[in-house]
Amino acid sequence: MSYIFEGLKQGAALLLPPSSEILQIVALSLAVSGAATLLAALAAVPVSLFLALKEFRGKRLLVGLVNTAMSVPAVLIGLLVYGLVSRRGPLGILGLLFTPGAMVLAQALLAFPLITALALAALKGIARDARDLALSLGANRRQLAAVVIRQGRFAFLTAIIAGFSRVIGETGMTLMIGGNIKGQTRVLTTAISLETMKGNFELGIALGIVLLLTALAVNVAMQGLQGK
Amino acid sequence: MQICVENLGYRAGKNMILQGINLELAPGAVNVILGPNGAGKSTLLRLLGLLDKPGLGEIYYDGQKRSTMSRCQCTALRRRCGFVFQAPLLLAGSVEANLRFGPRLRGLNVGDHKIRLVLEKTGLHGREGQEARLLSGGEKQRLQLARVMLLDPDLYLLDEPTANLDPLSVKNIETAIARLAGEGKTVILATHNLIQARLLAAEIVFLKEGLLLQAGAAAEVLSRPLSLDIAEFSAAENIIPGTLVRREGRTVLDCGQLAIEVVSERSGGRAAAVIRPEDILVSEKPISSSARNSFRGPIMAVADLGAIMALSVDCGGVLFTVFVTRISCAQMNLAPGIAVSLTFKATSVHLLPLC
Repeated sequence: MSYIFEGLKQGAALLLPPSSEILQIVALSLAVSGAATLLAALAAVPVSLFLALKEFRGKRLLVGLVNTAMSVPAVLIGLLVYGLVSRRGPLGILGLLFTPGAMVLAQALLAFPLITALALAALKGIARDARDLALSLGANRRQLAAVVIRQGRFAFLTAIIAGFSRVIGETGMTLMIGGNIKGQTRVLTTAISLETMKGNFELGIALGIVLLLTALAVNVAMQGLQGK
Repeated sequence: MQICVENLGYRAGKNMILQGINLELAPGAVNVILGPNGAGKSTLLRLLGLLDKPGLGEIYYDGQKRSTMSRCQCTALRRRCGFVFQAPLLLAGSVEANLRFGPRLRGLNVGDHKIRLVLEKTGLHGREGQEARLLSGGEKQRLQLARVMLLDPDLYLLDEPTANLDPLSVKNIETAIARLAGEGKTVILATHNLIQARLLAAEIVFLKEGLLLQAGAAAEVLSRPLSLDIAEFSAAENIIPGTLVRREGRTVLDCGQLAIEVVSERSGGRAAAVIRPEDILVSEKPISSSARNSFRGPIMAVADLGAIMALSVDCGGVLFTVFVTRISCAQMNLAPGIAVSLTFKATSVHLLPLC
């Protein structure tokens, strides 16, 4: 057991102050997962609004699909994106493989169904009432969407926080797509995995602490936003 | 607003919520949609308020067809309607913020005096700054009504606006509704509260299980119900089942020991007689008159309804409910056990066929 405590101690020492390499890894993690979450949210908000407000044939099937997509293993999405962006793939010409761009794409695909499904579930009780209220007071289509988004903002925020937490903690897929290239595509999770396997247990712990703190800080910030 | 409904139907999943509704609503009056829970009242109101799309049939607004309206036309029409929901839908924020929300959606700016006026009309004056979601149930309902009144719509759609409210709040809202009709607004009020229907309705539309059973002037529907469902729901006091038979050239309803003379072309078959209590004359001794029905029996119970007293009189196994004024009751010394005579005309008997 003592080596764990030793590791914790040394890990904490590594962070005071953090090296520029650690800082760079943190920055890239935040940038990639932040961009991926933003992209996913931009698509998920209108989709969940549409699914919550519209009645149409095949809606249940579609909602079922979104819910199923939520449980697709990340590594399968990694496989799909790898196929798309590898040199022989349809997007191969863009040379995205092992770049942050490909990581953003993969993480966005991972977060999208999660954010959509969670937002939809939370909107269920809100959307119809908000729609009734807005329509009955004479809202047009644009105003209707604005009212429902405003009334459902907590639902969206919660879903987006969950989406961000999911992708910033993702390892296997990110490794597969990004390649964990030092200084280019190395993020917190892939670094932890690499350093630990290399036997640099203290460094793994140091990065683990940073990951935890980063996730915590983002969650607290988002929840602070929600409180308003 | 002139509203006409043609063969309207609405389906939710596999269930038909409304079916074959044909209806003409009276403009500038209170139209009450009456019926038990689950009759489809709310659904009809939502369809009329363009909150849901009908599955079948057509609604005409001042002659304009619902089915051919564009999105913009629907929005324009919704802006002429005011909807009060059964469960109050309010925004987080102050009473005033809730009131200003409607005008803001329409790009209008309303003056403070207008806000004050609707709050006064609904008994909420001085509450402008209060958090709307912290109001009591009755106040929330009145705020919904105030919000709608501020927009001054032509058509008011009110979905059980007094359900679960205390009597004073009910009174407040009923007064406000009566005033709206007085101002020439068309009001459509869904309720299962019969007393409210009697109090406010010019026209009654009776729904049950998604079907329209009767529509017409309130007095007509209440005194001459077309079906036993309506008679029972509208708490008609005397509903007496029997068999129609011809006797000595007259039609009577044979109710066992009692035979009630009625006016009917039919004979044979089961039927129920509906007799309104106010159409029955009470006397100490049998009186001779042109009225064809006269029965005698003891008073079983006297109920105090305020200015009038309701007597239950047992005539040959049939329990009649009759009304007398408090003064008559005292002068005639009417009390349980005393025998009285009941007299009513054959034409006062409204017959309903029974299966």
